[in-house]
Formats: sequence, structure tokens, C-alpha cells
Amino acid sequence: MPESGDLDADLNDSLIQLNSLSKHYKMGDTVVRALDGVTFSIREGEFVSITGHSGSGKSTMMHLLGCLDRPSGGEYWLDGDLVSRMSDRMLAVIRNEKVGFVFQTFNLIQRTSALDNVAVPLFYGRKPKVREAAMRALERVGLNHRATHTPAELSGGERQRVAIARAIVNEPRIVLADEPTGNLDSRTGNQIMDIFHELHRSGVTIILVTHERDVALQAERIVRMRDGKIVEDRRVDEDLRDELSAGEQDVPDRSPPPLARPAGV
Amino acid sequence: MFVLRVCMMALRSLWIHPLRSILATLGVIIGVGAVVAAMAILEGMSARFRAGFESMGSNKLFVTPNIQRRHNRMVGSFDSLRLGDAEAIDRACGKVESVMPQISQREAMVKFLSKNTTADILGATESYQEISSHYVSEGDFITAQNVQGKANVVVLGSRVKEELFGGRPALGEKVRIFGLLGARTFTVIGVMEEKGNVAFMDVDRQVIVPVTTAMEKLYGLKSVQTIVVEAVSPDDADIEAAAGQIKKLLRQRHKIRAAQDDDFEVKSQKDMVEQVGQFQQIVGIVLGSIAGISLVVGGIGIMNIMLVAVTERTREIGVRMAMGAQRTDVLVQFLIEASFVSFLGGAMGVLMGWGFANTIEQLTRVFETLTTGLSVGLALTMATLTGIVSGIYPAWKASRLDPVEALRYE
Repeated sequence: MPESGDLDADLNDSLIQLNSLSKHYKMGDTVVRALDGVTFSIREGEFVSITGHSGSGKSTMMHLLGCLDRPSGGEYWLDGDLVSRMSDRMLAVIRNEKVGFVFQTFNLIQRTSALDNVAVPLFYGRKPKVREAAMRALERVGLNHRATHTPAELSGGERQRVAIARAIVNEPRIVLADEPTGNLDSRTGNQIMDIFHELHRSGVTIILVTHERDVALQAERIVRMRDGKIVEDRRVDEDLRDELSAGEQDVPDRSPPPLARPAGV
Repeated sequence: MFVLRVCMMALRSLWIHPLRSILATLGVIIGVGAVVAAMAILEGMSARFRAGFESMGSNKLFVTPNIQRRHNRMVGSFDSLRLGDAEAIDRACGKVESVMPQISQREAMVKFLSKNTTADILGATESYQEISSHYVSEGDFITAQNVQGKANVVVLGSRVKEELFGGRPALGEKVRIFGLLGARTFTVIGVMEEKGNVAFMDVDRQVIVPVTTAMEKLYGLKSVQTIVVEAVSPDDADIEAAAGQIKKLLRQRHKIRAAQDDDFEVKSQKDMVEQVGQFQQIVGIVLGSIAGISLVVGGIGIMNIMLVAVTERTREIGVRMAMGAQRTDVLVQFLIEASFVSFLGGAMGVLMGWGFANTIEQLTRVFETLTTGLSVGLALTMATLTGIVSGIYPAWKASRLDPVEALRYE
């Protein structure tokens, strides 16, 4: 590979490095290329939005980045580890230690207190002093006074804050959020985004999968996907904001993509 | 810590659907309950039987005709034992302390004036008191002369005396006893002390007459039914020596050739207790099989509820996997949950069985029941094992879920 020297360099300063990563599904006789040879990287501490229409491959990307799934081809380096070749057992450890998930539907465990929900990753990480750590995470999202409430007793925004506390309780390198404001009204959604900004400021790498323009624009960088490929990868700056405020309803889908190679490389 | 948390989670998910949980564990509850109750009753019965034997002293041997059941027919001679055999044993066997030939008949009519009652007739000798540790409370017992002279004398059991005479004195009164040969008149010479049941025989309901009188005048028998022998000591060696001497003597007296079987049996008290033990073992095997079947049925119930739980909680399993749960964590979690559910069912079954046994005891008042720690422990262990076994498949299914698919599950 001619760029191998570059890639080695990438490995040194990027937290995430994807090399021709692909994911194929068989649907009957046809092969669906949900992810078709994606190469890009994310540096530690970045705040990246991944956007695209449904079927663009952004969910598959999220599952692969979160180590919930294995690629059909290519390499995925996370924090110096080649996770694309790891066993189920090791992937579970990586998910537990390095990745925090936030879902659109919160996915809290029913009839279980906020504190116990937050403690779930600690429980599977066999961590000591579970209650103290879970309580600290709840404090970070400002919900320590709701620790004993069950999800049914919490508002949507509060549930998502509990979910964020759960995502960060093990102090992961990456927080992966899948449409985190999708089920919330805009005011509550903004509060949730404020928490992500705060986490970002404290140095956590945040990857936000969303199709909402306003939400995507809050990141530092937007990665746009279509048909399993990255079609745009650019910094969020005044130019982009201006273009969008000129009347477009969604993140612009310009083709051909201006950047063949990811911006961060 | 892990186990405790998983148990708490299991309790919570059981609590959400109380009716469903009870229905699912019903098989285990009923199975365990039935076995605990049956074991309590069986234990109670055999404990009592043993106590009865022990109260008779442990140096006894029982010589009876050798009657066996072959192809549903009784084979052997019923009249192989004679009074002469008893006398010979007493005379010739060095390891024998005393001998008592006896016959007994159940439920004969005994009449005093216009009052009558039924009693068991025991034909015995003067040795009865010593051998049975059962003594007269008033009057005298049968003497050797009575036996020799085939006297028409009777010693009444305490309840028989009570029923025929009430508070009035019975000594010297005449009662009529109805045997197979018709009614005979007997003089009451004594009343036995109260003793209660001995090996399921109510000795207070019996009347004792000389064995010779019973054979000749009441039943027209030439043979005795049992020769009760007391060995010189309760040592196993002495008991065995006595049995050997008796066998040798009786084979000689009955002219049994070397290749022929004995026409009598000599059983020690220990043998009889062992026979009860064998009976208990057989009942135990039958109970065990019933328990096995009901636990299989119970296990199916547990497996069913666990499969439902896995399906219902697919998304939760996905979330747990996303949070870093290993496949083995999920497997162990559902296994613990299944065994815990089953254990709770078992615990309820133990309570139910114990309650049932006690109710039977209260209602029948025939014997006490004994719920032992062993039966409770065994029942709970079996229930928990059932849970583990029937939880394996659902737990395995849960652990094999694909996290991506599970998270998408609605």
C-alpha cells in the first residue's frame, strides 16, 4: 500500500482509524454493501457528527465504531488496538472500557433505579465502589437527586441524562450517541446537547449520529454518508452555517464530494 | 455480589408478573410439596415402627413357619411349629434364655353378662410378661400350671377391661370368649397395665389366655404360629449363635434332609427392622420417581417462563451487551435467574408439603409426621438443579443474541 507510511502516522495521533472498512449483508441473493470501503480517522477529543439519510450506512458505521459488530473487510484501529480482528470476549471488554453508548430511545432498564442503571457498566467491568462511581456520574449530568427514581418516574430529558451518565460512568475514550435528541422536544434536546458540549470540553471524544441539521451543526466536523460511502467530510465553520441558513432544509448533499480523503488525515 | 444482584433482578422480574410466575413454578411447587409431605408421613410411620420394636427389647428372635408367596399362591406348611419345638428349644439351646410359643387371632368377641366387645386373642405362656416387658396391674398373670392344665383363665387388656367392666372390679368374674370352636367361659385372673401400640398392635385391646387353651379349646389348632425366643444377650454374636442353634435343632426335629429348605424361619428383631428399612427403601424409590416426573414437569414450566423472559428482554440483553456484558455474563445471569425461580418454587413447595403433612397428622391423629432436614435439603437441591437444567437452553439462547439485532428488537 503506497500510503502505509501515512497510515502509521495516523495511528499515532488518531484515536480511531478506519482503513477501507466494509460491511456486507446477504439479503436473499443480493449483497447489500451497508459500508463500502470507508477510510477515515478521528482524533482524540474531536466532536464529530455522522449524518445521512436512512439506508446511508450511518447506523452500520455506528455499530462498527461501537464494536457491536465486526466488519466484513478492512481494518478498524481503536486507541492502538486492531479491534476488527478481536474476539467477542475482547470486543465486550473494549465496549465496557472505551465506549459509552447513548441511544435515541434511551434504552434504560425498566423498573430499575437511575443509580442501578448507571451502575450497569461498572457491574460488568467488575468494578469496586459501584455506588460512589455511579453517583458521581449522575452528579455530572445533574441528576443525583433522582438516583432512586425508576425510568417510568423520570421525564424524557431526565432519562437521556441518566443514559449519558451510564455512558460516561466507566470514563470511556469515546461517547457514541445515536440520535440522542430524536425523542425529545427541542428545548430538552438543547439541554442534552449542552451536556455533550460539556463532555467534549472535558476531553471526551464524541461521535454523534444524526439526521437533524441543527444537531449535526453543533459538532466541529460533519461526516456525510450515502450508499455506504463517505460523500463529504468537512469542518463546521461559518461558511457551512451560512450556506445552510440560505434556505436548505438539510445538511447539503453535494456531489461529487469535494474531499476524497477525510479532512483529519 | 454478582449473584446477589442477579437474584435481586430475578425477584424484580418475577414480581412484575406474579400470576405468571406462580403458574410457571406450580409444577415445582406441587412436585416438591408432594414429596416433602409423603416423606414426612413415611418417616413418621417408620420412626414409630422402630420405636415399637425397640421397646420390645433387642434380644428377641421370632420363629415362624416358612410360608412364601410364589406365583400368587402361599407355599409352605402353616403348621410346622409345635409346642414340643418350643420346649425343645428351651431345653437344648444354650444361647436361649427363655421361650414363648404363641398364637394370636384378631377381633374375637368377648362377652361379660350383656356387654360385649371385640378383642385380639393372644395365646401365650407365663414368659409373656418378661419377654414383652408388659405386666399385670392387678391380679395375677397366667402361670406354668395354667398352661399345662389348659386352664380357662384370662388376663384382660386395660381397654377390654374398661369396656366390659368400667370402674367395677373384674377379678374373679366370668367372661365368654368366642373362638372358632364356639364360646368358652373364662375366669378373669388379672388385668394388664396400659401400654398403647407396639408395632401397630394395640396391646391394650388384647386378652391373654394360656396358649394351650387357645389352641385346643378356642381354635382347634395343633400348631403354634410363632415361637418368641429371648437370647441370652442382645449381642449380635449371641443372637446369631442362638439362631444357629434353633435352626439346627428344628431341622433335626422336623427331619429335614440336607438338600431341603427349612419349613420354618428364624428372624431376629434386627432382621425385622431391616425389612421395614427395605420397605422404606422401596417406597422411597417410588416417591423418588414421582418426584423426578414432577420435577421434569416443573422444569418445563421454568424453561417456558425463561424463554418468555429472554424474548421479552431481548432489547435489554442488547443494551447489557453494549455496556460490556460478556456472553458468559448473560448466560450465567439467566441460569441464576432460572435456578433462583425454581428454588423459590421449591421453598414454597416445602412449606406446602410440611403444612399438608401436619394437616394429615391433625386430621387422622394416628401417627406423627416427621419433616426432616434431609428431605427439605434434598427437595431444595433438586428444585435448584431443575432450575439450572431447564435454564440452560434459554440462557444459551440469550447469550447467543447478536447485540445489533437485540438492540433493534421492538
